[in-house]
Amino acid sequence: MKYQKAIRYLLTFFCIITLNFFLPRIMPGDPFYFLSSEQGEITITYSQEEIQRQKAYYGLDVPVLTQYGRYLKNIIKGDLGYSIYFNNDVRLIIKNRIPWSVSLVLLSVIIGGFIGTLLGCLSAWYRRGVLDKALYSLMIILSEIPAFLIGILFLLFLAARQGLFPLSGGMKPFAEYVSWSSRFLDIALHGFLPALTLAVVQMGGFYLIARNSMITVMSKDYMTTAKAKGLSTRRILFRHALTNAALPIVTRAFYSLGQAVGGTILVENVFKYPGLGLLMRQAVMVRDYPLIQGIFLTVTFFVIIMNLAADIIYKKLDPRII
Amino acid sequence: MKKSNIGKMLILFMLAAIMFSMNGCGAKPQQKTVSDSTELDSPLVIRLEGGDWGFPSPFAHYSRGPGMSKMRLIYDSLLEKGEKGLIPWLAKEWTISPDGREYTFVLNSGVKWHDGELLTAEDVKFSFEYFTKHPPVSNSLLIDGKPFIDKIEVIDECQVKITVNEPNATLLDRLGIVRIIPEHIWKDIEDPKKAIDLVKLVGCGPYTLTDYNQEQGTYRFQAFEDYWGPKVRVDVIEFIPVSDQVLAFEKAEIDLLDVPADLMDRYKNNEEYKILKSPAFWGYRLLFNMEKKPELSDVNTRKAIAHAIDVDELIEKVARGAAVPASPGYLPIDHIWHNPDVTKYEFDIEKAKELLNNKSLSLTLLISDDQKEARIAELLKINFAKAGINLEVRTVDMKTRDSQVKEQNYELALIGHGGWGQDADCLREVYGVTVARDASPVSNVIPGYSNPQINELCQKQLSELDEQKRKSMILDLQKLISDEIPLLPLYNTVEYMVYKPEKYDGWVHVFDHHAVTHNKLSYLEREK
Repeated sequence: MKYQKAIRYLLTFFCIITLNFFLPRIMPGDPFYFLSSEQGEITITYSQEEIQRQKAYYGLDVPVLTQYGRYLKNIIKGDLGYSIYFNNDVRLIIKNRIPWSVSLVLLSVIIGGFIGTLLGCLSAWYRRGVLDKALYSLMIILSEIPAFLIGILFLLFLAARQGLFPLSGGMKPFAEYVSWSSRFLDIALHGFLPALTLAVVQMGGFYLIARNSMITVMSKDYMTTAKAKGLSTRRILFRHALTNAALPIVTRAFYSLGQAVGGTILVENVFKYPGLGLLMRQAVMVRDYPLIQGIFLTVTFFVIIMNLAADIIYKKLDPRII
Repeated sequence: MKKSNIGKMLILFMLAAIMFSMNGCGAKPQQKTVSDSTELDSPLVIRLEGGDWGFPSPFAHYSRGPGMSKMRLIYDSLLEKGEKGLIPWLAKEWTISPDGREYTFVLNSGVKWHDGELLTAEDVKFSFEYFTKHPPVSNSLLIDGKPFIDKIEVIDECQVKITVNEPNATLLDRLGIVRIIPEHIWKDIEDPKKAIDLVKLVGCGPYTLTDYNQEQGTYRFQAFEDYWGPKVRVDVIEFIPVSDQVLAFEKAEIDLLDVPADLMDRYKNNEEYKILKSPAFWGYRLLFNMEKKPELSDVNTRKAIAHAIDVDELIEKVARGAAVPASPGYLPIDHIWHNPDVTKYEFDIEKAKELLNNKSLSLTLLISDDQKEARIAELLKINFAKAGINLEVRTVDMKTRDSQVKEQNYELALIGHGGWGQDADCLREVYGVTVARDASPVSNVIPGYSNPQINELCQKQLSELDEQKRKSMILDLQKLISDEIPLLPLYNTVEYMVYKPEKYDGWVHVFDHHAVTHNKLSYLEREK
């Protein structure tokens, strides 16, 4: 059984790295040909001879299958190639950005998940009451507002008007920190608004799932027993109900974590936060094949790892799952 | 209780692990160069909008304007672009032989590299030779993809003679802007693209780079105290990430704002601010594919299209007033060789119908997914319909549009790009079909169009070394082009830069470029 599962994971992985290789190359255009530019920008254009020279430099002048062979060989060696546009080792570019993306998503899932689940429990407990109705409408509205709009509002009121947080970036430019604590504080201050924005976006989803799941659990017989025993509301809600309703919530949490790389583009854009999402978009726009491949591979890896982690945690939560 | 504690600790541990790995690739200061400002006040630090444009060596920066300009703060060239034309820089004077094949440059003496070594004529020779072997990101040493230098000789310690294959009017510009790099740093480097080490970044320009962080998009440039040239006025230039330019400017985080047209009133008539209008060197043009749509090879059809476009409406509604009508002769109104007397096409639906003989016409317009282009396309569609032209709009992403234009897979296409202020030889690249079709994709030859008169003039101006004669040819050429409109320029955008003169008032435009932050003259003392 275990053996089979491992093979399945390996096969998935192989299919995905193959797709990673061919998809960017199917897109029209190549990394060296620029005719137009964004407003107010100048692009350096190249003649056919120069493009040929560059293609040879990056090994793009040989048949695609040969390139594919090299790509597979390099992946096994752990070499993701050299970015054409960003002119750096792809591994290094990704490595320098992953901590920012991951911490942002991790924080937002923790905050959003915690608040969303809490409110979901309350809603389910006071089902059909005023509180439930109010919370339900609020959460539906919140989850429908686009992330960038929430971000801009935060930026305008909390950062610009009140001056509580910095306007942009992941850390103070050119800062030389005297201690770990000042470094931590600076990075936390810069990351707070982006994380909060993402948390607000995540909250609605967690709320709805927690509420639904709790309502199902509430109708179970053991809940009646717990109430009959005269236990406190808090104990019934969080000890007896939530543990049994946790499965879908945990699924949601891992799903959100799996989205770490791609899910933050809008927020990164609003706050100029140095994550992987915006980089991925740029890489696609300039057809930077090695970087696109590298980022997609990272995303794949992340999702697979999160699925694996979810599998393991499931078993702990629900012993019936083998 | 115990379980939840473990959970908390796990989360804390993960966070701590992430914080530790957030080292980034921020380069640490290598040398602290402090400008010996004679004033007693604190050093002048100018902050500008950053973003990552690559490691600023001639081989590693990204192929965009902001990347190139940062590199040029560190590296000087023989000549520099001034407000009216080329000005002496590392070369204090130069001579061109009567046959136009020999260029002799006389260098300033006592020019120092950032590491203290002296710049020699050998370095100049080395730079040209090295760039031939290892082309930099922006390479002016090729014409239509082919090298033109025959040989380079060092005459004495401050004179260099460059011999070229054949006379060409654009060569002084091309030779003049080549960056000069130190031989003692680069001579043993085989793959300069991968030399991205701050220690290698030794130039002889006014600034040294003391900090660069790729993922944060920050740069810190410090004035070089032994700079040979004009006095450096700005001691430190810092490029920082900016989420919203207006907010950052209002909070004094940045010192220069590219103000959106709709917010202009906020800064107008205010003593505290100055507004600087940029020359209109970025623009849109409409391409005609006469091979795929033979109706377009009739000049009257093209003129009808021109008359059916309300450029003023486009400028008002799409550019929000921050643009000028483009010249049908291509070179925009702010170009030093712009011809104001070219044939113009007023918005006139009746005239358009007349030119089409009241026949109807069906066209497909290829645009990118840019919002502005979509708006232009919609406005064109409305007026075209009135003139009996049915326009269908096809939207793809920018790169796809570019490659479809290259493959000539379109009927009409809209493209926007910069560089309209460059040397007038761009007319040859755009209109002169003498270039073989696959030789230079930049030239994006107009499919199905060839005009012997235009071609001849394009070639003649290129070998005309007398500037006045060449200029009059270029003026004629623009007139010819405007009568023929093989493609139709729509409008050129202008930018309005707002700044506080009290802090710094040295911003200047050079003759061929739209951005004040991109030229080093903006940061230096100017000679009267």
